[in-house]
Amino acid sequence: MRFRRWMWLIVVALVLPALPVRAGPAGLTFTIGVDQEVVGLDPNLVTAFSSFRRIDFLYNKLVRYNDRLEIEPDLAESWEFPDPRTVVFRLRRGVKFHSGAEMTAEDVKFTLERVLNPETRSPGRSFIDVITAIETPDRYTVRLKMQFPLASLLSGLASANLSIVERAAVQRFGNLQRNVAGTGPFMMAEWVPDNFMRLAKNPNYFRRGMPRFDTLIIRVIPDQASLLAGVRTRSLDMATINQGSVITAARRESGLTVMQKAGLNLRIFAFNTTRPPFTDPRVRYAFSFAIDRNAIVNTAEFGYAAVSGPVPASTPWATPAAQFTSYRQNVERARQLLAEAGHPRGFTTRIVTSPTYEGGIAVAQVIQEQLRAIGVTATLENIEWGTYINRWVARDFDTMIELRGGDPDPDRFLYRTFHSTGAVNNFLFKDATIDRLLERGRVNLDPDRRKPIYVELEKALIEAAPALFLYTPMETQVLQGYVRGFKIIGNGALYFLEEAVAER
Amino acid sequence: MQRYLAARLLALIPVLLGILAVVFLLIRLIPGDAVQLFLGTQVEMTPQQMAELRRFFGIDKPIPQQFLDYLGRILRGDLGVSLRTSRPVLGDILQRLPLSFQLASFALIVAMAIAVPLGIASAVTRNSTFDVLARVGGLLGLSMPNFWLGAMLILVFSRYLHVSFGQYVPLTQNPLGTLQSLYLPALALGAAIAAILMRYVRSSLLEVLGQEYIRTARGKGLRGTVVILRHALPNALIPVITVLGFQMGYLLGGTVIIEEIFALPGMGRLALQAIFQRDYPVVQGVVLVIALLFVMTNLVVDMLYAWIDPRIRYG
Repeated sequence: MRFRRWMWLIVVALVLPALPVRAGPAGLTFTIGVDQEVVGLDPNLVTAFSSFRRIDFLYNKLVRYNDRLEIEPDLAESWEFPDPRTVVFRLRRGVKFHSGAEMTAEDVKFTLERVLNPETRSPGRSFIDVITAIETPDRYTVRLKMQFPLASLLSGLASANLSIVERAAVQRFGNLQRNVAGTGPFMMAEWVPDNFMRLAKNPNYFRRGMPRFDTLIIRVIPDQASLLAGVRTRSLDMATINQGSVITAARRESGLTVMQKAGLNLRIFAFNTTRPPFTDPRVRYAFSFAIDRNAIVNTAEFGYAAVSGPVPASTPWATPAAQFTSYRQNVERARQLLAEAGHPRGFTTRIVTSPTYEGGIAVAQVIQEQLRAIGVTATLENIEWGTYINRWVARDFDTMIELRGGDPDPDRFLYRTFHSTGAVNNFLFKDATIDRLLERGRVNLDPDRRKPIYVELEKALIEAAPALFLYTPMETQVLQGYVRGFKIIGNGALYFLEEAVAER
Repeated sequence: MQRYLAARLLALIPVLLGILAVVFLLIRLIPGDAVQLFLGTQVEMTPQQMAELRRFFGIDKPIPQQFLDYLGRILRGDLGVSLRTSRPVLGDILQRLPLSFQLASFALIVAMAIAVPLGIASAVTRNSTFDVLARVGGLLGLSMPNFWLGAMLILVFSRYLHVSFGQYVPLTQNPLGTLQSLYLPALALGAAIAAILMRYVRSSLLEVLGQEYIRTARGKGLRGTVVILRHALPNALIPVITVLGFQMGYLLGGTVIIEEIFALPGMGRLALQAIFQRDYPVVQGVVLVIALLFVMTNLVVDMLYAWIDPRIRYG
C-alpha cells in the first residue's frame, strides 16, 4: 500500500520536467541569454561592458557604428565640420522619449554637459573633454566647439556612455540607474535582478517598423555551458558566448547558427617598465620574438581570435600583423637581445593572472612555457579578480595578462593607454617619440594624413614594447537557425537586434 | 521548556556577534575595495575622485568605527544598502530567501525520498546483494561532486531528452513553474545528501531492529511491514533528523555552484558576487542571515526531538 504511494511519487517526479512551462506574454517574444547582470542602467554613469550592451536596447546616441564599423547617423541625421574645431549636428525631428516628450537639442546639450561635469564621474568624460562650448542655435541643431581638432570625437560620441538622456527625467529622478528615460527601440517592463529583464517594444521608435518583435526578455545565466543548453532546447533564441570550448560545441550542433566577427578587445602581456629587468626595452622586445602568438590563439581561444598589433586587427587602421618582424617566432634573436641587455642566461620573473576571462590564465600558461626557451623562468601569480584589480590599480606587478577594450578609432584606445599622461597607462611607460605621434594622430582629421602616423606609431610601439600585443578575440553569438536579420558588430553591441525576426 | 527555549535564544546573540565581527574584519582585509572593483581597469579616475567615492560608500572611516556604525544600524533593523547597486540589502536577501529555502527543502525531500526506502530495504535485507549494491551506490553518490552531476543533468536533459530548465518563477506566481525550475538542481543536490542519509537510516534502523520491543512486536504477531514502519522507523529517524537539520543549514548558503549552473538567483550567488565585488554590506547581511537561519534550524530540530520522543524533556 505504502509502496504504491512511493511509485506514484516517482512517476510524477519523472513526468514533471516534461510539462510545458506557462505561456509567455502575448505577441512575438525574443529571449536572449547573457552571462552577467547589469549593475545600473544610467548610460552616462555605467562602467561595465555588460551594462553597455543592455543600454543599447533602451537608448540612442548621436551617431553609432554599423556592422562594418563605420560611423552612421543615429539621433543626428547629419553633421558637418565648418572648421576643424567646430562640428554642427542636425538632429532628427519627431523623435520621442519613452515618456512621450520630444527629443530636442536641449536634451543633447544637457547630456553632454552632464557627462563633462566632473561631479557626475562619467567614464565618457575623457572621450569629449576637448569640448569647450555647446550651443543650440535652434531646436534641432547642436554646435560643439573644441579646444583642438579631435579625430576621434565621433567615435567618442558613438560610445554607450554618450547616450542621450531626457533632461526632465534626470532632473526628476536624480539618476537613471533604476529609471529608463531614453529613445531606444525597447522600454523597460519588468526587472528581476539576477534573473531576467523584460523589455517591451517602443511603439514610437523613430526607425519605422522596428523592432520586429513585441517583447525582449534578457535572461542572466552565468554558466556558458548552461547558456548553450538553453539555446539548444529553444528556451533561448540567442546567447553571447566567449568560451572557446563552448563555441566549438555549438558549432557541432545542427539547427544552431554561430555568428562570429573580429572583435575590438585586445589581449596584451603588460610589462611594468619601472621594474628591472623590464626597464630595458631590449628585454621587452626580446619577449616579442620569443613567443608564438598563433600557438597562444589556438590554445587559449581555440583559434577564435586574430593575431594583432597595437591597433585592433579588425579595424581599417591596423597594419596586417604579418608585416611585423618580431611576430615571427625567433628564439635566436630573442636570446641575442637578452644577451645584449646583460642577461645571457635568462632570469626569473612573475606573471600576474586571474581565472576570469579577462585575467587570461590560459594565455599565461602558454607564455610561461614559451619563455623557457630563452631561459626565462616565469612563476604564475594566479589571483582572484578583486585582488587582480587591486594589483593593477597599485601598479604592483612585474608582468600581467590583460584584456583591454579597443575601439574602431585608434586614438581613443591608444592615447589613454600609451601616452605618458594616459590614465590607463599602468605600464608607467614614457616615450617622447610615441607621445608626439599620439598627439599628431589625434588632431589630424584627414584619414589620408592620419594613416601613415598610425603605421609609424604601431611600429614604434612594437619595438618599444610597453606590452606585447597578442590578439583580438572574436565576438560570438549563438542563435537559433530560425532567427533572421541580426547583424553582428565587432564591438559586441546588440542594437541590430531591432532588425531581427524569429521565424519559428 | 520555556526556560530552555529562552536560554537558547539568548545564546544566539553572542554567536551572531562573533560571526559578524569575524566577517566584518575578514572582508576588509582582502586586497581590493568596492571602489576599485566598481571602476575596473578601463576607467580613469583621479585619486581625489576615488577618495570621494570611498567617503560616499562610507568605507574610509577606521574599521572599529565602521563596525559600531553597522551594529547601531542593525539594532534598528537596517542592514544597509549595497555599495554597488544602492538597493537595500534586506530587500535583496528577502527576495532571494524563498528560492534558497525552496531549493533546500526540495533537495532534502528528494534526498529523503531516495534514502529512506533504500535505507530500509538495505537494513532489512542486510548483507544481501541488494544491500551491497545499495551501499556502493551510496558511496558513488557521496563521491560525485554535485556541480558535476548538475552539469551532466543539464547535458542529458537538454541534449538527449530535449527538455529545458526554465527560469525560476516564484511560488506565488506559478507553483508548477517553480517545481520545474528547481527539479534538476534539487536532484543534483539531493543525490549526495541521499547517500549520507541512506547510511544513517540503515545503521540506525539496524540498531533499533535489534532491540527487545521489536521482538515483542513480532511475538505479538504483527506483520513485518507494520513492525518496521510503525514501530522501528520513528525511533530510527531521530539521528536522521539531526543530519537533516545540519544539511538544511548548509544548503541555505552553500549551493553557490548549483545556482551558477542552473542560473538560480539564490542567496549563495548573492554572497559570492558580493565577495568578489567587495560589496561589504551585502556580504555582512547575507552571512548574518544565514548564520541566524542555521542556528534557528538546529533549534527547531532540537525541539522536534522532544516532540518525537516523549522521553526527551528539556528542563
